[in-house]
Amino acid sequence: MKNTTPRSHSQTRHSGEGRNPALLNNWTPAFAGVTKYSFPLLILALALISNSALAANPFEQELFKAIKQGVQEKVTGKSATSVEEETAIGRQIAGNLLGAAPLVKDAKLQKYVNNVGRWVADQSERPDLTWHFGVIESNDVNAFAAPGGYIFVTKGLYKLLQSEAELAGVLAHEVGHVIRQHHLKILQQSKLLDLGSQALAKNVGGGNDKVQNLIGSGAEIVSRSLDKDAEFEADRIAVVLATRAGYDAFGLPAVLQQIGHYAKDDGDVALLFKTHPHPDDRLGKLGDAMGERFDGVKGKTLEKRLYRVK
Amino acid sequence: MKTMRWLLALAALLLSGALHAAETGTALKSDDIRTEPFRDAKSVAKLATGDKVEIIKKDGGWYQVKSAKGRGWVRMLSIRKGDARKSSGSASGLLALGSGRAGTGKVVATTGIRGLNEEELKAAKFDEAELKRAESYATNKSAAAKFAAAGKLAARSFDYLPAPK
Repeated sequence: MKNTTPRSHSQTRHSGEGRNPALLNNWTPAFAGVTKYSFPLLILALALISNSALAANPFEQELFKAIKQGVQEKVTGKSATSVEEETAIGRQIAGNLLGAAPLVKDAKLQKYVNNVGRWVADQSERPDLTWHFGVIESNDVNAFAAPGGYIFVTKGLYKLLQSEAELAGVLAHEVGHVIRQHHLKILQQSKLLDLGSQALAKNVGGGNDKVQNLIGSGAEIVSRSLDKDAEFEADRIAVVLATRAGYDAFGLPAVLQQIGHYAKDDGDVALLFKTHPHPDDRLGKLGDAMGERFDGVKGKTLEKRLYRVK
Repeated sequence: MKTMRWLLALAALLLSGALHAAETGTALKSDDIRTEPFRDAKSVAKLATGDKVEIIKKDGGWYQVKSAKGRGWVRMLSIRKGDARKSSGSASGLLALGSGRAGTGKVVATTGIRGLNEEELKAAKFDEAELKRAESYATNKSAAAKFAAAGKLAARSFDYLPAPK
């Protein structure tokens, strides 16, 4: 094994691959749920991995390592996307979103939403993420979450809010998407290669073309429809996190009541209505889930502390 | 610009008038109207899906309502505000005016603020400076806890909700 000429090296790799068929056999049952399309992709990925020793470029080596890990994740069903990768992806998406709609130029407002958002997020199982919250310049009524804890509310939605508990409810819904990794899962499912982001996470800082390639165009991912169940789940998480944070649980429902007023063809809610179940359906589902569990659970609404935007 | 400001003020005035008037609602599902905002309070009447109510006030998860069937308290989540799902109405027209839109979903160039449709999001370019600014406002656990304490918010445990069947 001391001979490291390219030829014998590749032979070593080859003999190493001799174990792969057995492994593949063991893996077969796990592939039962994988679409036909992705199977050749996995084989391609395995082929790439077997060449990894020949990849001179350290970046490619990292990428191959990550793909290999990704294949294992597909097999074991475990998501091993690290917090660094998740944050790198989220950071890119957030930077793109801000390219479309900048922050409202009001430092007090931005600090205020960060305090409310962070307090709510700290009641979740991911208090150690570096959470970021912001209000962006748009008359649209909407809110966005990106992996790693980047959350933005439009000024249009913020202006509808009547209390801090309502803000907490809206932010908690987005926190729900982040802690259950709803958008990350879409990315993981859409491309096998996206798992190569581990290599990319190391290039953080500034726009990252490679991360960009993984997330599609611009900030389009934030406008992609999630599964309806993911929205209902985020609603259920929202009322619980708001309650844990000491707020009235009915902040988010009150906002949904308000948004239900809008006509479907109103431009301000067009995207929200396109990508979310109708507020009435969300209220109905949430009502069924909440049932009597919140009876007698009092919380603060803090109308007076809500920071009003000009 | 001055005209626009007047229009906005007018719209705000009209809207605030509309909001202060009694709000109407519709039952999303059948539910009891009770004498008090508690689950075990006496039932006064039973609302059927689609029944109209007038919302008098809110208390936690409950609305005090007036309806043809009686007056009392109903669970907030059994009621939707407004009459029914509107396809298009005067209220939305007014809102559209206030936000500089013509109701077609297209942005009218008066406010200088663009909407966020899918095309715009797709075309969005990474803005490093703005992202850094956003990141500069981040707070931390202890500062957030202080902020919560100032609002007399106390953390408490509460289990996640199972998905309804």
